[in-house]
Amino acid sequence: MINKHVKTHTDVVCPFCGSLCDDLEVDVVNDEVVEVRNACKIGTQIYFSSNSDNSDRYTSPMIRKDGELHPATWEEALEKAATLLANAKRPLLYGWSSTEAEAIQLGVELAEITGGILDNCSSICHGPSIMAMQDAGIPKSTLGDYKNRADLVIFWGCNPVHAHPRHLGRYSEFIRGYFRKDGLNDRFMVVIDPRTTHTAQLADLHIKVNPSEDYELFSALRTVLKGIELEEEYVSGIPREQIEQLVEVMKSCNYGVIYYGLGLTHSLSHHRNVENAICLTRELNDHTKFLIQPMRGHYNVAGSNIVFSWNTGYPLAIDFSRGYPRYNPGEYSVVPALLRDEIDVTIVVASDPVLNFPAAAVENMLKHPLISVEPHETPTSALADVVLPVKICGVEAEGTAYRMDNVPIRLRKVKDGPNGLLTDREIMKRLINAIKQKKNL
Amino acid sequence: MSLENLVLITGQQIDQGVALEAGKTKQKYVQAAGVCKFDKEDFRKLGCLIGTPVKVSTEYGEVVVYSILSEEAPHPGIIFIPAGPWANQLVNPDSQGMGTPTYKGMKAKVEVVENGKVLGTIALLKKYKK
Repeated sequence: MINKHVKTHTDVVCPFCGSLCDDLEVDVVNDEVVEVRNACKIGTQIYFSSNSDNSDRYTSPMIRKDGELHPATWEEALEKAATLLANAKRPLLYGWSSTEAEAIQLGVELAEITGGILDNCSSICHGPSIMAMQDAGIPKSTLGDYKNRADLVIFWGCNPVHAHPRHLGRYSEFIRGYFRKDGLNDRFMVVIDPRTTHTAQLADLHIKVNPSEDYELFSALRTVLKGIELEEEYVSGIPREQIEQLVEVMKSCNYGVIYYGLGLTHSLSHHRNVENAICLTRELNDHTKFLIQPMRGHYNVAGSNIVFSWNTGYPLAIDFSRGYPRYNPGEYSVVPALLRDEIDVTIVVASDPVLNFPAAAVENMLKHPLISVEPHETPTSALADVVLPVKICGVEAEGTAYRMDNVPIRLRKVKDGPNGLLTDREIMKRLINAIKQKKNL
Repeated sequence: MSLENLVLITGQQIDQGVALEAGKTKQKYVQAAGVCKFDKEDFRKLGCLIGTPVKVSTEYGEVVVYSILSEEAPHPGIIFIPAGPWANQLVNPDSQGMGTPTYKGMKAKVEVVENGKVLGTIALLKKYKK
């Protein structure tokens, strides 16, 4: 029988990864999600985790007293957070990749009035990509363009089957495109990865590069592309013949795309890997059409770079201690700043650095007061001194997010969520007002 | 038994992603992220049963995780730990001056430990909260 109480939301945008799938259908009964269609495993879990049977969800603000977190009123919790931030000498404002652009914009203002370091999650993922783009530019397009035109798809140091589960089906490999009517049969798929990843198991050609030796392989490909014969039998564990074969594959396609992931940015050469990849892509355009696309992780990490950029001129690692924004990754990046132990208060918005940072950085962060703006219990909120619980963006609140190819998409609201919780945006506004009063700004 | 001169790679896995969204402090998350994935041949040399806790150590730290066989093998000489607090005990925090820590490519050693215990998320991290 048809349940008249079911409200079906269509064209819902998934707030998980940078693919920002916008075709979800979510059924809601009495403000509880009962069914999610079209999403991947992870996206489905996000919607079900917002339900009231999830014991990890915070229902009121929390303040740490005598070593334990205790429920508090919004006035108490915001006052405590504002006092900590207003009195801090070197505050850190970190996160921003899993919230909406409007909240990020207010976060920039909060950093300006507190004179803090402002950084986002790209600092520990695709920050090197941004630095490489600043050095070398980047030839790229949108996911729709790749879908309709690409006949050569290269995944380098990324594993979309795990990290972007619907990417292959929606944009890159299996999907039929305007000029690729037969989907995957019209495309050649290459995976370059040290492991035979689940993505590599689907590939037409898997090139098993040695770990941390991608830079050498890019250089070898560029050498062969220039018509120079390689002297070495093997480069990065790959035989010379296979490198020459890959160059032929690249030159002979009509439209090629390199999708690359953290395999390039997290290994020793960091941004130099990406810069070499961009140079290879640029040089391939002497022969055919070739583009390159970073596989961004969190759903709005591209948006945090964009919003920071149009507010301050810089995409990440920004220091406001002199009252104006300065940019120097490596110095103002979050992990090096924590390793120098110069941060005295941290506010984390929509992120979980205690889970994601190297142990030495976590140790220094937890020496000092920590404020967490977060809907669920996470290691960061569980070890924080003030917890400000929020409505989940993309589920219980609207907002703007930027897909990995920098296309802005409006997030939908499918339910109201628990009573008495604020959105990220409202919390930022209230903190800004409270700190302005304290500092007479 | 022990294995030396392995290369440690960390990264995202779908079951770990689902467990992240379901609750990072729950046991399901430990089972998804507190594991070390081995190539079959490497694991044979270790001489233990699948699921036995092993101690993984690098220059930067050590941690006890469950051992399992990798579905994304063969990758002899490489071990994989999903991104998470267990992996982060082992990664290189240094960024070579550019800001992003080196999460992949550390030299690692693995030992089977008698009565090894894999700590839960909060139990592993709360030692840092003074």
